[in-house]
Amino acid sequence: MRPGRAIYLSYVIAALMFLAAPLVVIVWASFFADKTLSFPPSGYTLHWYARAWELEDFARGFVISLQVAVCATFTSLAIGVPASLAIERFRFPGREPLRHILLAPMYVPAIVAGAAVYLYYVQVEISTGLQLAATFPGLLAAHTLVALPWTLRLVSASLASTGSNAEEAARSLGANAFQTFFYVTLPVIRPGIIAAALFSFIASFTELELSLFLVGPGKTTLPIAIVNYLEWNLDSTIAAVATVQILIIGAALLASDRFVNLGKAF
Amino acid sequence: MFPALLLVAVFLLAPLGLILRFSLDVYDPSTLMKGVFALDNYVKLLKDDFYTGVLIFTAQIAAMSTAICLVLGYPVAYFISRSPSEKLRSILIILTVLPLLMGNAVRSAAWMVVMGSNGMINGLLLALGVISEPIKILYTPTAVVVGLVSVLMPFAIITLQSVLDSIPVSLEEAGRSLGYSPLRTMVAVVMPLSIPGIVAAGAICFCLAMNAYATPVLIGGPSVHMMGPLVFQQISKVGNWPFGSALAWVLMTVTLVMTIVSATYLNRKYF
Amino acid sequence: MAVTLKNLIKTFGELRAVDDVSISIQDGELLALLGPSGCGKTTTLRAVAGFVELDSGTVHFGDRDVTRVPVHKRQVGMVFQGYALFPHLTVAQNVEFGLKVRGWERPKVRERVAEMLDWVQLGALSERRPRQLSGGQQQRVALARAMAIRPDVLLLDEPFSALDAKLRLQMRTEIRELQRSANITSVFVTHDQDEAMAIADRIGVINHGRLEQIGSAEDLYQRPVSRFVAGFIGKCNFLEGKVTGSNRFETAAGQALQFSGDHGVGAAALCFRPEHARLAATGSAAGNSVAVTVKLVTYLGPSTEYELEADGGVKLLVTAASIEGRAARNGERMALAWRTEDSFVVAG
Repeated sequence: MRPGRAIYLSYVIAALMFLAAPLVVIVWASFFADKTLSFPPSGYTLHWYARAWELEDFARGFVISLQVAVCATFTSLAIGVPASLAIERFRFPGREPLRHILLAPMYVPAIVAGAAVYLYYVQVEISTGLQLAATFPGLLAAHTLVALPWTLRLVSASLASTGSNAEEAARSLGANAFQTFFYVTLPVIRPGIIAAALFSFIASFTELELSLFLVGPGKTTLPIAIVNYLEWNLDSTIAAVATVQILIIGAALLASDRFVNLGKAF
Repeated sequence: MFPALLLVAVFLLAPLGLILRFSLDVYDPSTLMKGVFALDNYVKLLKDDFYTGVLIFTAQIAAMSTAICLVLGYPVAYFISRSPSEKLRSILIILTVLPLLMGNAVRSAAWMVVMGSNGMINGLLLALGVISEPIKILYTPTAVVVGLVSVLMPFAIITLQSVLDSIPVSLEEAGRSLGYSPLRTMVAVVMPLSIPGIVAAGAICFCLAMNAYATPVLIGGPSVHMMGPLVFQQISKVGNWPFGSALAWVLMTVTLVMTIVSATYLNRKYF
Repeated sequence: MAVTLKNLIKTFGELRAVDDVSISIQDGELLALLGPSGCGKTTTLRAVAGFVELDSGTVHFGDRDVTRVPVHKRQVGMVFQGYALFPHLTVAQNVEFGLKVRGWERPKVRERVAEMLDWVQLGALSERRPRQLSGGQQQRVALARAMAIRPDVLLLDEPFSALDAKLRLQMRTEIRELQRSANITSVFVTHDQDEAMAIADRIGVINHGRLEQIGSAEDLYQRPVSRFVAGFIGKCNFLEGKVTGSNRFETAAGQALQFSGDHGVGAAALCFRPEHARLAATGSAAGNSVAVTVKLVTYLGPSTEYELEADGGVKLLVTAASIEGRAARNGERMALAWRTEDSFVVAG
């Protein structure tokens, strides 16, 4: 091998290792036996996983995160798929601006959006008495906002890449608009919808900045529970919790593996 | 289409409008807000060295993280884009995005484990006898940059990779056939053609770095001040809504303006 | 069923994609719409299908005015460019799609699907998915699917463009035979003149949205009405000049020539086909003849092609059967002669 290529390859490998490092470290650290994290560990144990589950903040955070993420994914699909269809398949004035408005949750910094939504919720409560901050519906709306751009982008990409040919074929064979949508469009873009569901779920499940403002005491999501814990402690418990989150994301990825082209998702 | 538009309008655009209005109000400890129109918050922000300092520091950290991401990420993106087999390619992409999908909280936790005073680096250095007592790595600006780079690099790699994919290999072969070395072909042919990708990747990294929250709070600690945590603190902890709103708008505007200006400058310079 | 298009006009912004096109297609006829890409032929086809809303004009299937009838109620069978088979359905499910949405009963559907797959000889592959089929098989599925609904008219959009050269030749014979056996009025769009000439009963040549000429392959080749048609269908030599009287033509260089057919006096071009002219040592008294210099001789197997230059730098082309031997060498001065009957004139 020429020296230039050797340097190039080691550079790439080093960069990839740097990327993978946090993942490896956190999983490894979750098995350390020592009470305070220290290197090298004196032994290995599974004890921290049990302890993590006993800590109410994590157990409840996990359940809340899962609930919100599942609901946000479904809501996002329910409103995102028709929107993508309208944008990709119909020509109308203002189509491009509309696309950008719908993707806005991706452009607006999460911390800014979080601040804005929080103050807005408070203002709504002052004016109408309707409490949104620190409630499940309030959190769900915000998480749907976070998930929506992922749904739109992935479903739109899928619609764009399949083109309208199959739909036109269905029309020429006598299918009306509804038949065309349910018998042809939906099955054809199924991989895109699965990818959209996956990424919407992950975006919601790992969402931190927006939720920070919106959760109430005792009703935090898992990432917030992790951050709150980390501000005061650093031990193997947190590593165990993190490992569980990684496992859930990994499972979601595996379940949808054959439908999702990860490189195309970003 | 309409439900989606409604969601974005009601839960994002209206709130942004509301805090724009709040930012023009004046804080009052007893009534929260006086209900006036004034530029007091923006004036305070510009006059107070602490806040301008935080803004500039945040921009510096973001710029540095972005630069490191691009330099580190470009060869990786190129390697992925030109990988010999589809299989290797998807493995590399999964390897790249998997850490991204962990979420900010978990990734910060990992870096704390690595860089903490009892952490891996210190443990390793102590065991090797390089140092006699733990050195301070965590809670420094350097640690924040390392954390941010690990957050942002996947975005840089994936963005660059998709642009590099669109540059035909035949152009490189043409370069090689004309007598250029691989490195020179890279610099003379591939890099100029990938400027749009570099700009896009840089813009994404910079935006995300400017607005980071978890990394500065957890890895930077209380002594490293950045804009994201400052916004949260003003609104949630201090309760100064007008000033917090102004900070949020300034943060968003500065991010967008800097991104757009540098992107158009680069694109115009090279295309 | 006969199909009648009357004064079709369709504009996209500034562009007149279809500009006053009228065509009568007879029952059972196979009509090709031929033209360069972007000429409006596909838009015309899509207007017949109902995918394009016309600015004006009418489309009739038999006596039925379908101009305002939406696609799915039009009863057209369409074979799309790239076929547009439903990737998530099997071959049989693709073919039965149009029957199911029409609410046919199961036994009838099954019978019809079997009949159609039999017709295209794909009965054995009915449970396959489109991606497991070769290009030619996919095309036959597309045809079976389009024909299953017993359409009034069959429309084919560049049906051979996705096939490789060899399969293309085979499929066009196959499609032609299937079309004949079903006796279905058909319109197909192509940019390939060989394809159009090989299988169509009549060819409509379209350019810039206008129907330039419609007729049999022979009509178009031997009696093109415009310079575009003359140049687009086969190769053609053009000598610029003017018509000076009945059957009399004068080239720009001032040489008098004769042509057959009628053409008004004025600026025009005299045309003749490369295979209709001969190179000789000296010009003959009968017919037309011009002095030329041989520029390039290209041996093409069955024929040999000669690139020539006449006075004034006019480029001409002649082909001769190779069996006649080499008529000239590069750089030689020769006479090019051709019959008056093979000369025609198009407007300048």
